[in-house]
Amino acid sequence: MLTAPTLAQIESIVHGRIRAVLAERVGEVARLSGTDKLSATLGLSSLDLAFVVAELEAELGVDPFAKLVSITSVRSVGDLVRAYQQALFPELQRGGDEHAVAAAVKRAQTRRTRRKRR
Amino acid sequence: MPQARKVALVSGGSRGLGAQLVSGFLDRHYRVATLSRTKTTFITKMLRARKGQHFHWGAVDGRDHEALRAFVKDVGDRLGRIDVLVNNAGIAMEGILPTMRTRDIVEAVEVNLTAALVLAQACSRFMLRQGSGCIVNISSVHAIRGHSGVAVYSATKAALVSDMAEEQKRRIARRTPLGRLARIDEVANAVHFLTSDQASFITGQTLVVDGGITC
Repeated sequence: MLTAPTLAQIESIVHGRIRAVLAERVGEVARLSGTDKLSATLGLSSLDLAFVVAELEAELGVDPFAKLVSITSVRSVGDLVRAYQQALFPELQRGGDEHAVAAAVKRAQTRRTRRKRR
Repeated sequence: MPQARKVALVSGGSRGLGAQLVSGFLDRHYRVATLSRTKTTFITKMLRARKGQHFHWGAVDGRDHEALRAFVKDVGDRLGRIDVLVNNAGIAMEGILPTMRTRDIVEAVEVNLTAALVLAQACSRFMLRQGSGCIVNISSVHAIRGHSGVAVYSATKAALVSDMAEEQKRRIARRTPLGRLARIDEVANAVHFLTSDQASFITGQTLVVDGGITC
């Protein structure tokens, strides 16, 4: 791509590549959901996923699994989309971390409040 | 029909078996890319003779994983495909393990094993997309039979016998039923067979070319 894709375009490209593989394996798939499991729901093998990753690297110019993300953490269509969104928009990764830290702080505060009440 | 030519990538193609493989693939009408740390007289001669036609060389250190990946990507993008990878590059590492420097152990593993895996991974991306490909790893009799003084070398399962000390060569020759070491072309011929259409139903196999020493 000549210009950086938007988050929605990344999702559309990832979905397109998955659908292309599924079309060869089981026939056309009308719509994908972010919660669809790549293996359990869609039946993709590890080699199918490697093919999708190779195609996406050629199209998007990034490989999130070289350093950023472990492929074993990718279970769903949404996980795969997020991996590419974070690779192309690193601020999402940082934002995600801050969100996780904020959530952890909130949980800790709740635990402390409960202990005080006892 | 230059664009129809297959592409072979040979690591360590600047001398010895690697150089023989480069020449062999060119003779078989492949486009050939090779990498090595230094430009040898063979590489200079090939670059001059081919004038960029069907032959590409890159100065890459096997310990530099990013450079290895970048070289494969450059070859794939430039030539449009990668049909064959021969992991031939390797360094010999002699000496008994208790007295070997740790950094020498790490270097042997990096060059002989990790680099081969990184190249295979990078090439496999192109092979997956084109739906075909062939990877040959050049190993050693030391991968099958242990010998004193080559513990690390045996562990990494690679490199060339020609880089070994004369004493090692004589010892191997004495133990070989055919009474000598292999000629370079005898090993190269096995690689050319494995990467040819005649071996289209062979996959995941270890072909031992050793004059019978490991029988």
